[in-house]
Amino acid sequence: MPVIEVEDLSKRFGKKVLAVDDVSFSVAAGTITGFLGPNGAGKTTIMRMLVDLVRPTSGRVTVLGGRYRDLTHPTTRVGALLDASGFHPGRSGRNALRVVARAAGIGYDRVDSALEMVELAGAAGRAVKGYSTGMKQRLALACALLGDPEVLLLDEPANGLDPEGMKWLRGFLRAQAAEGRTVLISSHVLAEIEQTADHVLIISKGKLLARGPITQLAAGAAAVVRVRSPQAQKLEGLLLQKGAGVNRLDTALAIRGPSSAEVGELAHANDIVLHELLAEQPSLEDLFLQIAGTRRES
Amino acid sequence: MIDLIRAEFLKLSSTRTALGLFIAAVIVSVGPALLVMSLFPRDLLDGEGAAAAAAATGLTVVPMLAVVFGILGMTNEYRHGTITYTYLATPRRGLVIVIKLICYALVGAVIMAVTALLVVAVIAAVAALRDIHPSWLEASAISDFETLRSIGLFLLTVGLMTAFGVGLGALFRAQIPTVAGILIWALAIEGIITVIKPKIGMYLPFVAFQQLTMGGALHVGEDGGLPSLTRPEAFLVAIAYIAVFSVAAVFISMRRDVT
Repeated sequence: MPVIEVEDLSKRFGKKVLAVDDVSFSVAAGTITGFLGPNGAGKTTIMRMLVDLVRPTSGRVTVLGGRYRDLTHPTTRVGALLDASGFHPGRSGRNALRVVARAAGIGYDRVDSALEMVELAGAAGRAVKGYSTGMKQRLALACALLGDPEVLLLDEPANGLDPEGMKWLRGFLRAQAAEGRTVLISSHVLAEIEQTADHVLIISKGKLLARGPITQLAAGAAAVVRVRSPQAQKLEGLLLQKGAGVNRLDTALAIRGPSSAEVGELAHANDIVLHELLAEQPSLEDLFLQIAGTRRES
Repeated sequence: MIDLIRAEFLKLSSTRTALGLFIAAVIVSVGPALLVMSLFPRDLLDGEGAAAAAAATGLTVVPMLAVVFGILGMTNEYRHGTITYTYLATPRRGLVIVIKLICYALVGAVIMAVTALLVVAVIAAVAALRDIHPSWLEASAISDFETLRSIGLFLLTVGLMTAFGVGLGALFRAQIPTVAGILIWALAIEGIITVIKPKIGMYLPFVAFQQLTMGGALHVGEDGGLPSLTRPEAFLVAIAYIAVFSVAAVFISMRRDVT
């Protein structure tokens, strides 16, 4: 049973900007789904349409079977991290959460437990204007967790986090998934998604380019064969004749298309010495770049 | 609904906006009162002396602060981005605006009531020090029905003007242009229109709010003076303005994207 359903969704800002173009997808219960795309791809707009902050131009969005605005006590069903800077600078972190909790009919005890979950209890009495970007991000995450929701929508949660914070976030997301929550997380830090998400949605220029389990998408993507050879230039020419994609840097080649066996046999048939031959499974970043139609610099 | 009202009061008590309004109101009302009562000659202040009443004129400027307070209440939500969390917690946007209108009207009126009491206390204290006895400070005059009615109308006007400010803020969102625009409108444009076209001017919002407290005091009618509305008429006009701006704000807010 899908928790989030998006059908033929489009959003136009003014007459010129088509931010989201006929996007459809669903997110199953209890999964972590990564929402990938470059800045300006339309991820945030879709996230905001899921919670009724932005009205679709056309199409349909449902969360937990209905529109967000029709859910009873929506913040206890769906938690959203959309804007880490959306707190009054003069208000303390605790009061910022209390305001939301009060409006949502959530008890103050949840404020303290949410602050503890994001390890911000020690700074809860300080004004938000004194918080670092990472602390504001954690406060926004605490805000999303206030109602102990079954669905979490996290828009770029790793923004402003230091490496330690990123590690903490990964652990946090795994813990959320272990508790059976459904998480839709957008990010342009692909390594972060790769380590946490089961499924991905890849979006660019408002269009959904691919969706599915990471392993399935990776299996369908071309592996990269890495070769090191003193005759790299000669091998490059032969590979290009056979239609392979090749990037060369001195004696190193990154080859897309033929398998490692085919590359090895081609080298042997042409008396080319190889110092290294390695078939590399594509990373999520490779996958994203292939699908988005761009190439990573080798 | 009760939770929303409590959340709105928590928003107010956890920032300095309301305190700022109170301090500004005290400065513009207590300051002139103190100066008049301290520096004016005694014979101008004693008995039926008109200057004593003039000491409280600072209070007439104060309702304008209430409008600004209302505008800040709504535009701060957009300025600081808290509107995202407000609408996530309460997706019924119309309800958010209505609750804010009510809460700000109440808080604005209470702040002005405290300010007015402070002004009277300061005047009474200085009068006692200078051994002056303004007739309007006598207990019988203060408890007089007319006086109490005037105080009630003053607080009602302040509440309505604060609500008007919330409606304006919800409609226009941009803080500085809205505050600047409304001050220019209230202090300059309405005055010009009232002088050029008095019969239109008396229906303008800030003139109507003023007439609500003054209640036809400006009215000289057929003998050539400025035409003005009676208090009930001014009340209806003020309510109409608040209703129009609030309904427009709710209507537009429901369709507006929060990006």
